[in-house]
Order: sequence, then C-alpha cells, then structure tokens
Amino acid sequence: MSDDKRAAIPHGLQEAGGLTDGIARQLSRESGVPEADIYGVGSFFHLLARPSAKIRVCTGLSCVMSGANEVLEAAKKAGLPCEATSCLAGCDLPPAVLRDRRVLPSVSIADVERTGGDWEQLDSSAIAPGEEWRGFVGPERTNPDELALDLLGPDDKSGKSFQRAVELGANGVIEAIESSGLQGRGGAGFPAHIKWRGVQGQSETKRYVVLNADEGEPGTFKDREVMLRRPYLMLEGLAIAAHAIGASEVYLYLRGEFEVPWGIVERAIADVTERGIYGDLQFHMHAGQGAYICGEETALLEALEGKRGMPRLKPPFPVEVGLWGKPTLIHNVETIACVPSIVARGGDWFRELGRAEAGTKLYCISGHVKQPGTYELPLGITLDELLEVAGGVIGKLKAFSPGGASSGFLPASKRDLPLDFKSLGSVGSMLGSSGVVVLNDTVDMKWAALEQLRFFEAESCGQCAPCRIGTRYLREATEDNLDHGAAGGTTARGLAHVADVAWQMNEGSICGLGQAAPLPLTSALQYFPEDFQS
Amino acid sequence: MIQETQIRINGEKHSFRPGETILDVAGRAGVEIPTLCHDPRLKPAGACRTCLVEVEGQRKLLPACATPATTDMAVVSESERVDRHRKTLLALYATDHPSNREASERGAPDELLDMIENYRAPTDWGAMASVRANRHDDRNPYIHFEPDTCILCARCTRYCDEVEAVSAITLAGRGSETTISTVDGLSLLDTSCEMCGGCIDVCPTGAMGEKMPLTRGDKPERELEKVRSTCNFCGVGCQVDLNVDREADDGAGRIVKVTSPPTGTTTNDGNLCVKGRFAYDFVHHPDRLKVPLVRGADGEFYETSWEDALQKAAAGLQGVSERHGKNGLGFVSSSRCTVEENYLVQKLSRAVFGTNNVHQCAAT
Repeated sequence: MSDDKRAAIPHGLQEAGGLTDGIARQLSRESGVPEADIYGVGSFFHLLARPSAKIRVCTGLSCVMSGANEVLEAAKKAGLPCEATSCLAGCDLPPAVLRDRRVLPSVSIADVERTGGDWEQLDSSAIAPGEEWRGFVGPERTNPDELALDLLGPDDKSGKSFQRAVELGANGVIEAIESSGLQGRGGAGFPAHIKWRGVQGQSETKRYVVLNADEGEPGTFKDREVMLRRPYLMLEGLAIAAHAIGASEVYLYLRGEFEVPWGIVERAIADVTERGIYGDLQFHMHAGQGAYICGEETALLEALEGKRGMPRLKPPFPVEVGLWGKPTLIHNVETIACVPSIVARGGDWFRELGRAEAGTKLYCISGHVKQPGTYELPLGITLDELLEVAGGVIGKLKAFSPGGASSGFLPASKRDLPLDFKSLGSVGSMLGSSGVVVLNDTVDMKWAALEQLRFFEAESCGQCAPCRIGTRYLREATEDNLDHGAAGGTTARGLAHVADVAWQMNEGSICGLGQAAPLPLTSALQYFPEDFQS
Repeated sequence: MIQETQIRINGEKHSFRPGETILDVAGRAGVEIPTLCHDPRLKPAGACRTCLVEVEGQRKLLPACATPATTDMAVVSESERVDRHRKTLLALYATDHPSNREASERGAPDELLDMIENYRAPTDWGAMASVRANRHDDRNPYIHFEPDTCILCARCTRYCDEVEAVSAITLAGRGSETTISTVDGLSLLDTSCEMCGGCIDVCPTGAMGEKMPLTRGDKPERELEKVRSTCNFCGVGCQVDLNVDREADDGAGRIVKVTSPPTGTTTNDGNLCVKGRFAYDFVHHPDRLKVPLVRGADGEFYETSWEDALQKAAAGLQGVSERHGKNGLGFVSSSRCTVEENYLVQKLSRAVFGTNNVHQCAAT
C-alpha cells in the first residue's frame, strides 16, 4: 500500500457519496488500506460521516444573528435532509447554507419554502441564477500602490513577480520576506521568513509547499475572496515559495465547502501549467471533508496524507518533519498572496504599509455592521477605523471578537486598541485570522459564549483529553446541566470550575483549538459578568 | 561506544543514551511521572496528557513520553504548575468516567481511578453521561468493550496496528463522541481481528475486557493470585500469568483469566495470541486427561501407569511394523511441540522404526 493510496481515501469516500455501509470495506479491497482506518477517516469528517445530510445551515454567530436557526427550522419543516453545521466562511452574507458542497449566501426562509422539499432546488434569491457570487470588498481602490493584495485590482497572469524572484535567487527572496516583516496571516502571526529559512536549511532535498485554504475560523472569509478574485496572485506566491525553498510540488488544501473557489483555482492552475510560466512546478489540489481542526497545520498534513485530522505533537515542526515526513512550508492563502508584491516592490515597501506591524491586512467584518465584507487596511488599525469604512455599527456597540471565535470577546471600551498581533495578545485576546464579529447591545453575552462553546465542542478532534472533555464540560457547565449527584454530592454548580478547566485546557491541550476554546466563555465572564446573573 | 550525556530532572543529574525520552530516563532514575497512553511497544501518542512536565526554556508543558532527552536539558516533574496540571486534568477525566470502581473496573484494574486517588484530584466537578457509541451487537466470544469507561488513550488501536499489524479497530467519530470502533461497527468476528486480546491487555481502565470472566462474575484482578507459567499451545514458549481464584470451586481453586506478564520482562514482551490468552478452559475440563489410560478387553479405558502405557504403545507400533512392514507406520507430530521435540519424533520414526513417513501438523 502506497502513501498515495492512503492519501486518496478521503476523495474516494467523497466520490462514493460518503461513509455508507460497506464502502470502507470496498475501498479497502481496492486500495490495501485497512478497512478500519478508512472507517475511522470517514467517521471523522462531517461531510463524509453523515451522507444523508444534503443541506447544512451555518450556525456561526453572524449567521445565527441573521436568522440561521429559523432557516434551519424551516428546512426541517420543508422536509429537506438538513442539519446544523459549523462556520461556512460566509459570515458576510448570512445566513450561509451549504447545498451539497456549494455555499449559498443569504438564504431566506422563502428560499427554503420554494424548494417544495427537494433539496437540489435550494438556491439563494440574493444571487442571480447561474451567477457566481462574491462578497463585498473594500475600501474603495484609491491608491493601489498602498495595497499588497489589491483584491479589486486586475489579477496579473504574467508571472512577472516570479521572474523577479528567479533573478533575486532563493536567498534574495528570503531576505525580502525577512525585511518585509511578513507574519503568518492564518492566526499565529509567526514570522514567515523563519519558516522559509527553516525548510531551506534542511539536509533532506525533497520538500513541499502546502497551501492552507481550510478557512473555517468563525467570522473569517478573506481567503475565499482572495481565491475568488486573485487566484493567479496566490499561485504566483506559491510558485515563488516553492522556488525559494527548493520544492517541486505544491499541495493546495481547500475546505470541501469551497466548491466555487475550487473551480476558479483549478482553472487558474490549468492555465499556468499549460503556459509553463512556473517551469515544471506541479500543483495538487486536495478537498477538505468538513473539519475546522484541519486548519491547524499539522492536522491539515494528516488529512492530506488521508488520515483522521488529528494534530501532531510539536516539535518537530513541519519545516523539519512535514508532509510524508519531509520538510514542508505551510502558509495561509492571505500570507502567500502577500509574497508576489513583496518580491516585486521590496520588503521595505511592504513593511511601511502597516503601522506597528508590517503590511496591509485583510480584515473581515460581520455581525451587527452596516456593510459586512473584506477590507484591506494597514495592519494595526482600530475597530473604530474599521467600522468607519464598513459603514458603522447597527445599533449600539456592546462587544466584538477581533479574530474569530478563538479570540474570545472584547468590550466596546477596547475599540481603540490596534487590531494587530501584539496589542491583542497583550489583552489576552488575539488577532488570529482577523475575522471581526461585531455585537450590539441586543446580544446576551452568555448566549454568545454558549454559541462559540458549541462550535468548539463540535470541532474538537477528540484526540487529547483536555480539549475533548473540556469543550463539552464548559458547554454543559454554562447550560448548568451537569450531574452533581453522582460525583459525591457536590454543591458547587454551574460555572464554579471554569477557571480551572480553562487553565487546564490552555496548559494541557495539544493544539491551539483546545487552548483557545475556553476564551469566549472566560472573556465573556470577565467583561460581562452581569449577563451571567440569572 | 555509546555516547553518554546528561540531563537534569528536578535538579538531579541523570545520564541518557541518544534516542531516550524524558520518560525513559525518569523511569530508570525512579522518578515517578504518570502515564495512561504510554506503552513502550508503541510510538508515543502524547494524547492522555498526564505525563506533561516543565522543561526549562519551553513555554508550554511537554509530554515526557514523546520528548527526547537532550544534553543539559532541565526537567521539572514536581512543581506547583505540574501539580495543578495533574489535578485539573484528572478532575476533568473524572467528570467523564464512572466513579464507582466496581462498575468501572469489570475485573481489570482501573489505572485512571488509581491515579485520581494518588494525586488527590478533585472528583466533585459534576458528571457527564458518556456519549460514546459501542459496536452493534458484537457476538464475538472473547472481547468486551465498555465505552463509558474508555478514555480514548488509543493504546488498543495503536497496539492493533503497530504491534499486531491487524488494524481491526480504529478511533471513530470525533470530539466528545470519539469512540473505538471496527469498520461499520461490525462484530470483531467479521473483521480482520485475530482475537489476540492485546487490546484488553493494553487498556488502562478495563474498557476493553474479557467476556468470559465478566459473564462468570469473577473477582477483580487485584484479588486474584498470578501464577507464572509457560503457554503450551506452541513451541514459542510465551510466558503467561494464570490468574487464580483460590477460593473458587469450594477452595479447589480455579484459573479465571490469563494475562501476559508486563512488557519488557519476558520473551513474548507482553504479547499473547488467542490461544494463550483465551483457551484455558481445558485446564478444568472434566474430560481432560491427567493420567494415562489404556483400553481394556471390554473396550473401556482404564487408568494405568506410564510404564505400562508406554510399553503397550511400543508393542502396538511394533506389531503394526511386523504385520504390515516398516512403511505401514507413519508419525505425525503436533504444532504444540518444540523444535527439539519434533526432531525427536523424526528420530523415532527414522532411526527406531525405520520409516520416512513423518510429518508435522503445521508443515502443510
């Protein structure tokens, strides 16, 4: 049995319509991969595990605040084979609904009722029939020279930044990345050049570049817009990275719900490959199968290898032991899309675009805001500045999540804090994926925290105990439905042990999911204690 | 020459060999670090999180089982932080695990409950009902799975894969509903399972257990006497521990289960096969032969001495040889024999009775 055969298992299950009875055994006979392993993989991923569900309604915070639960109820009433699902990266056009593998924006109850019970007929009346949809992108394109990604600009297909990278040579490119101050835009904010040099310095000569397009952090949809609008920019970034670190193969991991971006990226790959502008560089596309955790880089590598998406222990880091054990450079879509303009215009140019930290940043904003969308702005603007370009708050600002569910909640009083990695880190939050969710004073923060806790519980991979047990414990404690009789007749109920559980999850969890999962609850308790007194 | 270098654990210097983990060194030095998902035969998983320790210069606690010792590394396994970690982790485990030892153990020791007691972890954080699914209606005769007691350490699935190379069981589902399953939740009989029972042996909580003692309602393992013996089902010579209930059968005593000696102590390294682990009922079977029997003129068997029995057997064989010639005889030896015993059988056949008609049942 080869690595390739195992890697093809998730796709094989997808082709077969998901994990139906007997399919694991059949695929095992064909591939030589043990049947239990195939079953383990199929049962791990939402899109494979329950093949009968064809309609999935996003129950992320922004979507629920826009009536997602009512749409789900209507879908159930209409007899559609439906279920609730985690964030579909459509928070700017809520509520987002997944029809098979396609995200439909702004689905209404009327849209659901129009199907007459036939799930294949579900469509969004917010988009013209047959048209591909995109989100709103801002601000207005007044000075493209101050934009690293320039999502409203033309998508240059020439590959001239790649040519420039070839002239600069590997070291020249990495020096430019270093001087640009580029930090990973997937969530961690790790300096990009350290990874590039890390891979470059390995004695193993087989290396890989992996693109993380498993955008799933609730409140985040920027990578979707990059792929919809600038697929060539992204591919050029990947080609430059591959050239610099000496890789001949690039793997692109797109979440399975990105059917529309998939088609666009696939066509762009066919085009650059046919024109040969990146030499014999090979691009391989891999579809995720419904698992937020696979946005964690080592879980993503496991999924790429055709296994359950459970994060690896680090160290060793992927730069040393990555895909199939080889040195691997993994970057988020936005990070890699910054690379061509850094190479073309120089690291200093990019650095100067930001404030305390380097570059421009794609800020996603959704929730109670007048114009939700993706905004490219200097890294380090404040919430107020972001709200200004996004048309302002609907109602009175109460709280916001600066970087997705994982960043917890901040009160309105923190609105003038720079939205960058360091400033937000200093108040126990994080910039994360810069998925800003705005909540007005109609929102009960206990309710909001509970929504986020449900998300983390649903998306915990289950590998390590602090996260597997802790995510469920916090949800049950918040709902106050733990059994206090069986465990020695304790009197302390509800949230009495939250601080200890949160401490344990942060100290004990293998990866960032479990470490961040308590934050929505602990931050809501910290800033909005009055919402918990009922 | 093996290069020896040193690390410090709780301030004490200890030498280590390249490739050893913090846990390996601590184990040799007698420093206690708790583990649940560790087994020296398996690649470290670092999933149970009980073995996390402080390492100087590292922001996060690191799993001792998976972290290689490096020169001048400074490890702290006893500190306020590590103690809080162990207590809060075990308290969380306790919310998702039966607190009633009798119910949870089902015969096997529950290392988690022991650990919760040893580290004085709180057990008053409330309880959650298990949401882990079981195999549907598994009719296999030997292996029982109790999902309520399972802590998802994955020792069983990794053992099945890495040691036995059978891969009959897997982690399935995800999050709090993660469980141990076979393909499609089938009975183990309908999978590649070879019933070696290794999953039972590696399970730290008794979630994987023998069906036989369960149905008999025997005593917990700690009240049984372990008697070391050699498995006689083949020539390998695996060591087994016969678990004897001395009070059973009105004080006559009874073997109620077989366990493998701890890994690293005997040649079978903690492993057994289906016969060694489960086929012990014959010991107490009324039909078991304990003395030689020889058929009398009336066709019935009668007890006799070994000397008499062997003489009768030799005479019978010689009689056949005389009446039908040397090749009228054939010798078939058993796969339960050692190689030396098999050698002696062919010697008996060729040198004593003068025939090449000799075979061994495992040779086909």
